[in-house]
Amino acid sequence: MTQIFTVTDLNERIKDRLENDPRLHDLWAQGEVSNFVHHRSGHRYFTLKDRDSQISCVLFKNQADRLGFDLKDGLNILVYGDIAVYRPQGRVQLVARGIKQDVGLGFRHLQFEALKKKLAGEGLFDLERKRALPRYPERIGIVTSPQGAALRDVLRIIGPYPARIILSPAQVQGDGAEESIVSALLALQGLTDVVIVCRGGGSTEDLWCFNSEAVARAIIGCDSPVISAVGHETDVTIADFVADMRAATPTAAAKMAVPDIGELIEWLQQSEVRMMRALWTSLERKEERLEYLRHSISARRMYSLAADARQRLDYLGERLAAALVAELRARRGRLELAQGRLAAVGPRATLLRGYSVVRSNHGLILRAEDARPGEVVELILGEGRLICRVLEIKDGSEVFLA
Amino acid sequence: MKKEEIGLEAALDDLERIVSELEEGKMGLEESLDLYEKGMKLVKLCNARLEGAERRIESLTGEVPPDLI
Repeated sequence: MTQIFTVTDLNERIKDRLENDPRLHDLWAQGEVSNFVHHRSGHRYFTLKDRDSQISCVLFKNQADRLGFDLKDGLNILVYGDIAVYRPQGRVQLVARGIKQDVGLGFRHLQFEALKKKLAGEGLFDLERKRALPRYPERIGIVTSPQGAALRDVLRIIGPYPARIILSPAQVQGDGAEESIVSALLALQGLTDVVIVCRGGGSTEDLWCFNSEAVARAIIGCDSPVISAVGHETDVTIADFVADMRAATPTAAAKMAVPDIGELIEWLQQSEVRMMRALWTSLERKEERLEYLRHSISARRMYSLAADARQRLDYLGERLAAALVAELRARRGRLELAQGRLAAVGPRATLLRGYSVVRSNHGLILRAEDARPGEVVELILGEGRLICRVLEIKDGSEVFLA
Repeated sequence: MKKEEIGLEAALDDLERIVSELEEGKMGLEESLDLYEKGMKLVKLCNARLEGAERRIESLTGEVPPDLI
């Protein structure tokens, strides 16, 4: 049955419908200010527009006073608020509760910055929590789309490296991508040594799922180190910040995940050579030592040692003889000296000066009374002796010595 | 040393240690020979791992795309 509305009823109905829709509340809208009017009531009216469309906006006085900047035509802004219908004019409008200046990066950017700040605040970007990648992973998990070029790039780089590759398929763009990535990461729990989360290049829109908080937390929750590689070099996502390693591209991620197998084989060959050389060197050193020792105990060397000793003995003998002669000479000198001095104090010198010693059979005659008349006495002179007979004994008082 | 159980990483680490120990040359001949033998076994083991192994791709959900097998 056809219902006929009054205009008022119709607008009332539209108003009810729109204002009861939770999707039209607490929303952000992005656009450029035009037709700005600062009404004398203090409320601000303007039109928010983009290239193709526009919507009326109102900012009531109490909110407008807290704005912090002047609204004017041409300004790019982000409006936070609710959709309402102004019944008298049947006008759908956005009732602003807050306005931010859009520096040209859009609301997504704000959201991105807010999440980045939040996660950074939790210390989730800290270098200390980044885990080191295993040098030689045996199980590599890959979270990506099985159809994507990214997966093929990664596999091409991993090449023949001997690892188990566990693909955990995920939808990497569009609705449901976040949840898909999160569950793909979860599914790898306990199965890998390293995980690569990747997708190829795309629009900011396409890559947006990697800026989700849920994905970030799933990456942090992984039990093995995660390498993120989303889009091209210039695309940096929240996933990149929380991953243990950020690669510019999926190809770069794969290079980080596995060692170059050619280099590895070369290294093994070098190790073989190095061990061999070390062993030879060690053998050679031992041989040299043996040779040295053998030389040390050779007969020739012994003979030479003996010759040395003999020569030394001769030398010492010579020195000894010389020393003895010198000593002897010194002693003789001292003896002669002593003899001279002895001669000086002995009787002979005195006798040579005109004195003589008289003795008889009874011994030395020191006083006249020691001799008897007629006795034979011996006179010892400076040179020679006289045998004499005593004629007379006289008193000593008459003797004068000249 | 059980060949089946030692991982590539552990084997390469062991090998690296053995090579530098040999190069230091502080050991006796017997010991050097022992180490050399051990090292050569590891080289063989690693080579076998690197050359012989086939890439194994599996998928946790769904099939592995046929072009990747």
